[in-house]
Amino acid sequence: MPAEPTAPAPAARTEPELFQSVEQWMDSAKFQELMRDEFPEDADSWLDPVSRRNFLALSAASVALAGGCNPSLRPASQRQVVPYVDQPDELTPGVPLFFATAMPQQGGVGLGLLVKSREGRPIKCEGNPNHPGSLGSIELQALAAPLTLHDPDRSSNVTLGGNGSTFEKAVVAIKNELTASKDGTGVVFLTEPTTSPTVQRLMGDMLKAYPKARWARYEPVGRANETAALAAAFEKPANLYYKFDAADVILSLDADFLTTGPGAVRYARDFGARRKVRLIEAAEAFHRESDEKAKAAGREPHFHPPKHSKLLDRAAAKMNRLYVVEGALTSTGAAADHRLPLKPSQVEGFARALAARLGVPNAAAPADLSETAKKWVEEVAKDMEARKGKAVVITGEHQSAATHLLALAVNEKLGAFGQTVAFSAPLDSGPANFDLKALGAEMNAGKVNTLFLVGVNPVYDAPADLRFADAMEKVKTKIHHGLYVDETALPHCTWHIPAAHFLESWGDVRGYDGTASVIQPLIAPMRNGKSVIELLASLLNTGEQDPLAAVKATWQPFFDTKLDAKLKDQYKAATYPSPTFERYWEVALRDGVLPGTAEAATPGAVKADKIGDKALSVAAVKELEIQFRPDPALFDGRQANNGWLQELPKPITNLTWDNAAMVSPATAERLNFQQSFAWTAGERGRTETDMAELTVMGRKIRVAVHIVPAMADDVVVLHLGFGRDRAGRVASPDDKTNTPGFNAYKLRGTDAVWTAPAELKRLNERYFLAVAGAYSAMESRRPVRHATLEQFKAEEVFAQVPGITPGEYKDLRALTPGTVENFNMLEELRKTRRNAEAGQPYKHPYDYHHEGEEEEGEGGHAHGHHDKRLKPLSLYVSNPITVDGQDANIGYRRWAMTIDLGSCIGCSACTMACVAENNIPVIGKGEVSRGRAMHWIRIDRYFSIPTGEVLEDKLGGEKVSPAERKERIKDSAAIRVHVQPVPCQHCEKAPCEVVCPVGATVHSADGLNDMVYNRCVGTRYCSNNCPYKVRRFNFLQYSDYTTDGMKLVNNPEVTVRTRGVMEKCTYCVQRIRAAVIEAEREWDKKKPDGSRLRESDATGRPKVYDGEILTACQQACPTQAITFGDLNDPQSAVLKTKAEPHNYGLLAEINTMPRTSYLAAVRNPNPNMPQGA
Amino acid sequence: MATATENAPAPPGQYPPHPEGLIGGSYDTVTLGDKIADVVIGDYPTPKAWWGWFLFGFALLQALVIGVAYLFWYGTGVWGLNQPAAWGLAIVNFVWWIGIGHAGTLISAILLLMHQKWRTSINRFAEAMTLFAVMCAGLFPLIHMGRPWLAYWLFPFPNNMAVWPQPRSPLMWDAFAVSTYFTVSLVFWYVGLIPDLAYLRDAARNRLQRLVYGVLSLGWRGSAYHWRRYEKLYLLLAGLGTPLVFSVHTIVSFDFAVAVVPLWHATIFPPFFVAGAVYSGFAMVVWLAVPLRHYYGMKDLITDRHLELCAKVMITTGMLVTWGYSLEVWMAWYGHSQREWSATMQRMWAGPYWWSYWALILTNSILPQLLWIKRVRCNELMLFLIAGSVHIGMLFERYVIVITLTRDDIPGAWGRYAPTIWDYAVMFGSIGLFVTLFCLFLRFLPMISITEMREFLPFKQGGRDGHSCMENAK
Repeated sequence: MPAEPTAPAPAARTEPELFQSVEQWMDSAKFQELMRDEFPEDADSWLDPVSRRNFLALSAASVALAGGCNPSLRPASQRQVVPYVDQPDELTPGVPLFFATAMPQQGGVGLGLLVKSREGRPIKCEGNPNHPGSLGSIELQALAAPLTLHDPDRSSNVTLGGNGSTFEKAVVAIKNELTASKDGTGVVFLTEPTTSPTVQRLMGDMLKAYPKARWARYEPVGRANETAALAAAFEKPANLYYKFDAADVILSLDADFLTTGPGAVRYARDFGARRKVRLIEAAEAFHRESDEKAKAAGREPHFHPPKHSKLLDRAAAKMNRLYVVEGALTSTGAAADHRLPLKPSQVEGFARALAARLGVPNAAAPADLSETAKKWVEEVAKDMEARKGKAVVITGEHQSAATHLLALAVNEKLGAFGQTVAFSAPLDSGPANFDLKALGAEMNAGKVNTLFLVGVNPVYDAPADLRFADAMEKVKTKIHHGLYVDETALPHCTWHIPAAHFLESWGDVRGYDGTASVIQPLIAPMRNGKSVIELLASLLNTGEQDPLAAVKATWQPFFDTKLDAKLKDQYKAATYPSPTFERYWEVALRDGVLPGTAEAATPGAVKADKIGDKALSVAAVKELEIQFRPDPALFDGRQANNGWLQELPKPITNLTWDNAAMVSPATAERLNFQQSFAWTAGERGRTETDMAELTVMGRKIRVAVHIVPAMADDVVVLHLGFGRDRAGRVASPDDKTNTPGFNAYKLRGTDAVWTAPAELKRLNERYFLAVAGAYSAMESRRPVRHATLEQFKAEEVFAQVPGITPGEYKDLRALTPGTVENFNMLEELRKTRRNAEAGQPYKHPYDYHHEGEEEEGEGGHAHGHHDKRLKPLSLYVSNPITVDGQDANIGYRRWAMTIDLGSCIGCSACTMACVAENNIPVIGKGEVSRGRAMHWIRIDRYFSIPTGEVLEDKLGGEKVSPAERKERIKDSAAIRVHVQPVPCQHCEKAPCEVVCPVGATVHSADGLNDMVYNRCVGTRYCSNNCPYKVRRFNFLQYSDYTTDGMKLVNNPEVTVRTRGVMEKCTYCVQRIRAAVIEAEREWDKKKPDGSRLRESDATGRPKVYDGEILTACQQACPTQAITFGDLNDPQSAVLKTKAEPHNYGLLAEINTMPRTSYLAAVRNPNPNMPQGA
Repeated sequence: MATATENAPAPPGQYPPHPEGLIGGSYDTVTLGDKIADVVIGDYPTPKAWWGWFLFGFALLQALVIGVAYLFWYGTGVWGLNQPAAWGLAIVNFVWWIGIGHAGTLISAILLLMHQKWRTSINRFAEAMTLFAVMCAGLFPLIHMGRPWLAYWLFPFPNNMAVWPQPRSPLMWDAFAVSTYFTVSLVFWYVGLIPDLAYLRDAARNRLQRLVYGVLSLGWRGSAYHWRRYEKLYLLLAGLGTPLVFSVHTIVSFDFAVAVVPLWHATIFPPFFVAGAVYSGFAMVVWLAVPLRHYYGMKDLITDRHLELCAKVMITTGMLVTWGYSLEVWMAWYGHSQREWSATMQRMWAGPYWWSYWALILTNSILPQLLWIKRVRCNELMLFLIAGSVHIGMLFERYVIVITLTRDDIPGAWGRYAPTIWDYAVMFGSIGLFVTLFCLFLRFLPMISITEMREFLPFKQGGRDGHSCMENAK
């Protein structure tokens, strides 16, 4: 019998000491790393269906948990573990919480956000209505931010030379390095521009501690030219912003101000508010004024309706006018009343001519301006002079400093300062004392020992002629701080420290007008990131470690000394006689803005002597010219690993997953480039195009060519942000051949920042682009209806003229729910029901004829004037069910939407908001190129050429042959662009519902066209029968069920669809139901006086207030082009839009009765402008 | 009633030619029975070509197996379907096969009720063709579904989920129409087989054959009661099958006609589809009859006259179909609907698929006009080639209809469709399934009805000169 193993003698046994916490006990770095990294990686397998292995593993984990070893849970606070036994005060499981924060964007300028948090995880960003830069709207980058937050490819480890280390070790090592430099000699900080007062303060402290250290700021898409122009104009820095709500005439000099740059969201909102023609609003205004007048005079109010022409004039008076001069085709250009395609380097000449015309000193019109441009200058100048103080010129960041300066001078001349143009204290002020170019030179000279790279990726995006990667080899210690292990981090840097996402960190930021906001974390860092503030605070020996304390420490002195005394008094707490900072802070956290922080500035008069300065100018390029632009979706590439952004069909071009060298059709023909649609998906997917070699200043890349109508000729536009080498599996998959796009930074240099001469040589090679919707001409259909203001005044029902079937205008209107005619029809239905109840024979609505139809004479059917087909001719008798005494067929609530094509700029924020709200999967370039894009909102883009013929577009019209069309599309100057967002139209007579064999798509009582995912068997018949083709099918398993991080970003209120299931826009049914449930809950409760907590509506049921429900697209829309509400609520905004004369139902003539309808676009062109200009 | 001596069979080789040319050679009941049964019981050596065709079909069948396995593993996305064109080759194939499946029941039921004696030689294999074609057809709606494992939801079945099919959908009607059609066709075919199976049982060369055919013949003893019941049932089933011939393709056409897609939404579709179905069905009968005549020496039973009659049916239905094509264009123009008319323009010349429309017109309307010429329609090779043209034409017809989806109402949603290799795998694989099943049928069941052919023999040759069930019914 073998001897039983015996325990070693007590003296030899290593007895674990008693411990209280894991941290105390397990102190080895290796074990810490194990704790942090091993388990989270495996966490996804826990969520899979329980297999035998998993069951055993889970059992083991339970044992581990029971033993107090808790490696995979990291609570938000990291200081105290609070189990859900006692529910946190403010948190109800299933009810989302919203926190105000702000996202630092281009130039470090912040956009105020409200972030939706579900059970502690942020899932969606929405605009903060209190923030002046947002007012509740939002743009693409911010909408996509939650996906970046949950991106599993984000870096999660501090590394030293590629091997794992810890933040503490890094801090010690870097501090030693700084100490060794004594006064900071050879130490350089390279950061992105920041408007954060705290970061600026800490950097100031840093430079004080190490006086010889230097700070450079770099951003590939910076506002350097504008800053230079401001400095030249006022001899001191200032921040410039615009007030488009006060602008009657706007001239954009190559500025895509509606979608790009600081303030774009606010600008789009102000601009959009003045693109809406609303007769009903005008009538209400007359009514109000009449009442007020009567009141003032002490009379009994009595309203005399104004003359119709007065009404029209009043509605039209609001309209602004937008002129755009640009080389590329942007959203702003598409929204313009007049658009002049001009080579970017000639825009300066245009500005000079305009300035000269308006009498700006030192400005002289260049000789080589084209005839059209000269006419433009004349007419624009006249138009602007006529509206002094209400005109504004805005210049794009791509334009030379000279252009910016000229624009400033023109604005001053037009009296815009203080009216439409405003100034504030500079935003990215701070002790920066170095720039990238000088840094490159010093690095090469070996003078830099320690280089901090904070939030920048210069190896990828610095000007190519600096050869930044090579220069970095000459620097001893390089410390990289960023979200990803990117091109700069891994092969080149000594240390890499993962950055915390802005949704994970404390901070502060200034908005476009200088208003400061607190960046409030929504979640503890998910991947061990540290914010800039934490990093700087750790390196400084001030003892400030807590980022929240650091931010507060910035604002306490502001509150104490700088805040306006009147404002300050509001923050008196009951218990304290003097104002307290804490109350101010709480308000700031709740509202998302720090009150009283916008510092207006009056920089004085423009100094005109610099206007002729050649140093500020860029030479006009005679031959082919390249323009670099930030990508409309990816921007400069900072969020390149974001599938939502990559897959979003870019505004106007509809390109996904790629950038391309964009040229006009005429230039393409000259350079012999061709583009065709592939057989596999054609216009709605795969565009096959030529590859080209693009040479700029001797630097070359291979790039695909994309032909975009309406661009200026002889211009190549290449968007930045693509072609990443190391950015994660989306932006740079292991298979390099599939890397999305081409790296434009390889061409860009200090000698070619925005524009430069270029050479484009065709290669004998083809490439395919995934273009979701490339077909351009209208094909004689009129899905988008539009008119000029003059035409609108002459014939306000222009949109009703049926473009497709002959029929009666009123019948078509009756088929558009929400219109007066539609209500009349419903009244007829009700009459039928009453008759039926009174024992009279039931008459189907189909049996209704109009009065006198059977008689002889005009209007009789013998004359064919009455087209009965346009009556609601359902085969199914109206449902005779009543619910609570309500006619179920007519509906208790009737949800409906209008989309104003006049103010829609095609920016795609709606599509992106919908992606974030509704868990729309990312399917990849291959699937998009097969025509299977999943976005619930498709933004159709059409081109047309205005002709002398009123209303009709010749381009694509019946009379134009395909050959002629091809010829006409080359005339860039004459092309108009139209955009039309098409979500599900929620037809009252939905063709999709009838054909589903299993009843998977059905109508709800309130008129939603519902999709029952788990009933769907995937016959796709509904999609075929949808005339709008807005249904989307999961042809493969698109939703990501496997990647751990990706699950957390999903909205738990929306089903994640499986393979083989149809889906489509639901009008955000989850939001509707939540609001209705809330309304019913409140309605059931009684106040002490016995009345209901919520009032009843006209039918005696709980009232849902207008505007209480916002669909995700509506909420996001920067121009507020989308209106949603209940048609049965007489006060609802949507009902008012439905009653507008230019409201029309898309394909209403086929009797679908779409609940979504469109307000035809009304443009405001200058009648004096030459035809086609 | 004729006396026994009058009806005594004349010695073999001495009978006069059949007045209508519907049967050649000199057969009496015995030799005729042997001629057909020998193939099955093995006395007639299996032709080498049978092996060739069987192996060809079986190999293609593997493409179907692999294609469906791949499809089920990854999802319908392996096909070339996309957003505007959510239906593709699978639905084309479905309609195509259903169409082919038409001729069998038409021949066996309608022609029977119409006293068309010439149906007798071809009804058995035509019915088999129907069954196999409907099997191929039925496969496609099933596998084209996004979630094929839930296909049973199209049928009303009691369940605790309170779900029920949506009766307004043509796809639900389809499920009923096709399954009913298949069931009735199967029963009809099997009932017709019973006396033949008994014959095979009696003529069996070995125990296995005797056992199998014995079980399948359901105890048939050939008593007068049996015959009486058999004939009544056969007649009843013919009556039941007749409306189904029309209903099934009418309902299949509703898949399109009920939709609001321009050019689908047309009242002409039901008759137009039925005519097209008969057209393609007869083309397939020709395609099957010609090899049978050659490889099995059946020229005496399936005569030139039969082929000519098939050709005449084809020219008739072909003209109906052509009339349908012209009406489609006419209605689009006359209806004054811009969407219909521009969809027609897209289909005919402005769209990317104009060639498929003209390929359809060429193969379905123009080439078959040659059948007007007697020399052509009586030439086996020419007829075979023209029938092939009709197969292609009918495939294109459904293709042209389905790809109307790519350019319908809103130009912003337009796209294109092209099948992938996996579309083709199931398409050609289904042909493999058909060929395999048909080869097995030829080998193991009498390809021509022994019973009915014996009845069909002239009185002098021991027959009844027609369909006994019809003559008795008279």
